Amino acid sequence: MAVDQDWSSVYPTAAAFKPASVPLPIRMGYPVKGGVPPPKEGNLELIKIPNFLHLTPPAIKKHCAALRDFCTEWPSALDSDEKCEQHFPIEIETVDYVSAGTSIRNPKARIVTLRVKLSNLNLDDHAKKKLIKLVGARYCKDTDVLTIIIDRCPLRRQNYDYGIHLLTVLYHESWKTEAWESEKTEEDMEEYIWENSSSQRNALDTLLQIKATENVSNVTKEDLLASEVVRNYRNSVIALKNEGETESNISQYKESVKKLLNIQALP
Amino acid sequence: MAARCLWRRLCQGSSFPVNYASRVMQKQCFLPNFDLVGGRFSGSHVHTEEPKTNPLVSISDEPEILYRRLSLLVKGHDKAVLDSYEYFAVLAAKELGITVEKVHRPPKKIERLTLLKSVHIYKKHRVQYEMRTHYTCLELKHLTGSTAAVYLEYVERNLPEGVAMEVKKTKIEKIPEHIREPVWDTLPQVEETEVKS
Repeated sequence: MAVDQDWSSVYPTAAAFKPASVPLPIRMGYPVKGGVPPPKEGNLELIKIPNFLHLTPPAIKKHCAALRDFCTEWPSALDSDEKCEQHFPIEIETVDYVSAGTSIRNPKARIVTLRVKLSNLNLDDHAKKKLIKLVGARYCKDTDVLTIIIDRCPLRRQNYDYGIHLLTVLYHESWKTEAWESEKTEEDMEEYIWENSSSQRNALDTLLQIKATENVSNVTKEDLLASEVVRNYRNSVIALKNEGETESNISQYKESVKKLLNIQALP
Repeated sequence: MAARCLWRRLCQGSSFPVNYASRVMQKQCFLPNFDLVGGRFSGSHVHTEEPKTNPLVSISDEPEILYRRLSLLVKGHDKAVLDSYEYFAVLAAKELGITVEKVHRPPKKIERLTLLKSVHIYKKHRVQYEMRTHYTCLELKHLTGSTAAVYLEYVERNLPEGVAMEVKKTKIEKIPEHIREPVWDTLPQVEETEVKS
């Protein structure tokens, strides 16, 4: 065989291993005791295994040179993930399956996953809370991502349409305020609100009793609410309830209670 | 779809805030022509508007689908075959100008079963078989629809026998028109009559 022959014309497509065409001294198989693996002539192991002789690097380069005309460039303005997120907030994920078998169809191929960050949607405070309540476990609080997995319909396009329809319905329903939403109780609230809570009532009652025993002139509730000690107490309680118990939160609460009840002695 | 029509309107630059429109314009000049399902276009050069004289290439007006990530998971029984295939796929991606984000090999999974050795009785003598599945995962970043179609067709046609592949495509889209504003703002009277009835 000539040294400068064009290999891509010997193996233009995937073909079985032909020992006469391949000029390499390949041996494959389990060696005989005290011997070497069998040679390539009449070697079934070499014929069984899929070979990549038709995909040598020069052949790949030739193929890609011909295919490059059909490719388009990615817009250079969208070079980072954040910019993609900003301009194209919705992500649709689909999976294609390729395998050999009696059928090329795979029923898992119809599943569509829709992901969107709620900060990119036009929602006000009430709408966002209502949407989160409506979707339940599909919303992740840490990453602010709503994930909807749709596999309701038999075709992928139908599932995609249904997903967009679901998103539209959720969005519009969350902007509506129903009559029964005014019956929202304290247990339903997502975050702690200090106004009209038992903590506020207790603090104000205690302060009023203190003032009454000291016989100070009548101070109104509004004055107490506006005073700085009560503001501090309110902020520390809100921080404790919403963010959880951390070192700084607890020490802030301690300081505010000491100031509220005017206790200087304890450290 | 609505998103595609939106992209089209985007190219015309209407009904968007100013700073966004300027970005649109910037994007426009980097993307002279788009193509889609029907046609292919040579968009290699920014400034030349005329396509290369390849008779098979045709241009279409429809906007391009954008894929943020393309994840190829290849499964096979033979690790050497998967390694060769991975070399081929990575070289093909580099030649076509696609950024390869990550190439990693998830650990293999072995499925074992224990069967009776004999046709009749001899329960104490069994034989064990196992099936080993090796995986290789290729993650590609930032592909346009036509580039993805070309690359996937090339790579899928050259998939060796006995190897399976799962392609996970993450497409990015704009928010559709009907989710921009709540529709209740624009239909006050209809809503009231519905509530009353």
